[in-house]
Amino acid sequence: MGRLGEVLRQRRERGEGSLLTYLMAGSVPPEKFLSCVRAFRAAGVTGLEVGFPFSDPMAEGPVIQRAATLALARGTRWSDLLELLPQVAEELPVAVMTYLNVILRHGGGKALEELRSHGADAVILPDLPLEGLRDLGAHRAVKGLDIVLLASPATGAERLRRLARHTEGFLYLVSRYGTTGLGGGTTPSTKTHALDLTEEIRQVHAERPKLPILAGFGVRHAQDIRSFLQQGADGAIVGSLLQDRLNEEAQVSELDALVRALVQGLAKTSTGP
Amino acid sequence: MPEWYGPYGGSYVPETLVPALKELELVWKSARRDPEFRSRFQDLARDWGGRPTPLYFAERLTREVGGAEIYLKREDLVHGGAHKLNNALGQGLLALRLGKRRLIAETGAGQHGVATAMIGAKLGLSTEVYMGAADMERQKPNVLRMRLLGATVRPVTQGQQTLKEAINEALRDWIANVQDTHYLLGSAVGPHPFPSLVADFQSVIGRELRRQSRARWGRDPDLVLACVGGGSNAIGTFHPLLRGPARLVGVEARGSGEPSGWGAASLVRGSVGVLHGMRTYLLQDEEGQILPTQSVSAGLDYAGVGPEHAWLKDSGRVEYTSATDREALEAFHRLARTEGILPALEPSHALAVALQRATTLPRDQHVVVTLSGRGDKDLAEVERFGPPR
Repeated sequence: MGRLGEVLRQRRERGEGSLLTYLMAGSVPPEKFLSCVRAFRAAGVTGLEVGFPFSDPMAEGPVIQRAATLALARGTRWSDLLELLPQVAEELPVAVMTYLNVILRHGGGKALEELRSHGADAVILPDLPLEGLRDLGAHRAVKGLDIVLLASPATGAERLRRLARHTEGFLYLVSRYGTTGLGGGTTPSTKTHALDLTEEIRQVHAERPKLPILAGFGVRHAQDIRSFLQQGADGAIVGSLLQDRLNEEAQVSELDALVRALVQGLAKTSTGP
Repeated sequence: MPEWYGPYGGSYVPETLVPALKELELVWKSARRDPEFRSRFQDLARDWGGRPTPLYFAERLTREVGGAEIYLKREDLVHGGAHKLNNALGQGLLALRLGKRRLIAETGAGQHGVATAMIGAKLGLSTEVYMGAADMERQKPNVLRMRLLGATVRPVTQGQQTLKEAINEALRDWIANVQDTHYLLGSAVGPHPFPSLVADFQSVIGRELRRQSRARWGRDPDLVLACVGGGSNAIGTFHPLLRGPARLVGVEARGSGEPSGWGAASLVRGSVGVLHGMRTYLLQDEEGQILPTQSVSAGLDYAGVGPEHAWLKDSGRVEYTSATDREALEAFHRLARTEGILPALEPSHALAVALQRATTLPRDQHVVVTLSGRGDKDLAEVERFGPPR
């Protein structure tokens, strides 16, 4: 298990909620990116999700799409990610989020090895379903690099148990129908609100009691995080809210303030695991 | 229905879409065994859609080219002006069976958007079509047609503002609205079961063509050509002929033809990767980012291709080649002036290669080109390029 998975598991055992924050590599210069990471660590964030841009990110809403466009326009390359990762890893445990084509183009298993050797603990590929794990072949077993699977409100009970069995490090539970942030095509459905995940979370923990579950997509307030924890999740992932400020070239202090407010949502609640 | 074509195909989608894709496959499997569904489909295809389409001997063109006999499979005569209705009709009926009340679609040239708008109107389903803003500009007549048919056209302003981005947006809409919406994908691309589903609905082209050619000259054609963007008219043409003797040629768009440019020829110039839920040939850079494409024809202007074509290329059963913007335009003018038919710019690419090949073949051979659509939508583009040389 990667360091991130281990930290999340320990926090779950202690009944502490966790918060992962997402930033897109290359969407701002590395110095600013690292300033944010340091501020997030000081604010009490558990781990960082580092996005790597893909030209056609089908699971992303407008904010992360724009971040990818900005990062690619700045000429962001795989080698830039590998340069950034060790510096991020000095501050916080790291999960890399990108799309399958990027990983395959950099050699599949070879790319995973590179991520691991540069400090990544986990990789999240939203277009890699359970059935696609074999595409990463024998290299799946890169020691210390977890391949995190996602589950969604559309996932049925049986499949949810399979996802719980096969995910590594933690389970990424998508909390709504839609893309990241509040996106979902030009006409977001009225149904894209966060759903009650209590039953899903119960089923996953019945299958694998020690597995941390983090909820994400559209998280904006400390109250959203508190609500996930009350439903039995072990934490939340926040991306678009922060990346939107970064896209608008906000100061690090502004992101810092947002994260400090979000961390309030982790304050101990009566419902432990 | 196959999910894999050799190493190509698959279903690389966010988890939210997995149940909907499985449900679509199950519903199609039951529908195609259901006599009631089949008879409704066939009645509509005939009385509303105008099937079967003729296999037409282009006699003057043949004489002018001087070689093998050239025939056109007239999909331009299908209701709406293109082969796209074959699939839209089938999937529209499946949407009803799925209990979905809303259709979404992507469109490049606008023909699939028009076909979806037509079936949406016919079945009383709300219809929204995603179309790249650049394509809306160059295929204006189809934008107007979709609106008149009651569909909402949603401009896509990301990236190159063409077909690839329209598919991205339709997929994102589907992720948000999958509970009440069917994504009526128009080409033989995307995650399983779409490539095989679309091939099933389009194979009527090849079945009719085989029957017509056997009735006419007693055997399969010698050479059959179709244009390939995502590849739906080509797969529909080729499928029933794969086990026969016909030589099959798919023609991609090479754009302006400059050596530095890729055009949109993903099979001819691309490499293997994963896009839009499928493993296939893509135009991509060494970093795995999808490259911009360029073609005069919006319907062929796409960086990927259906996975079955990828496999037919590797297996050698189908030959894939390309034609430039200029070659397609010359073929367009030639057909207009010899046969009184304005073809769409997409099949003009296939026609261009057919004319080159026919001159080299003996007179007793039969060449068939699938004329996948009519050219009314392209008049402004054709005019922009000026008169024929």
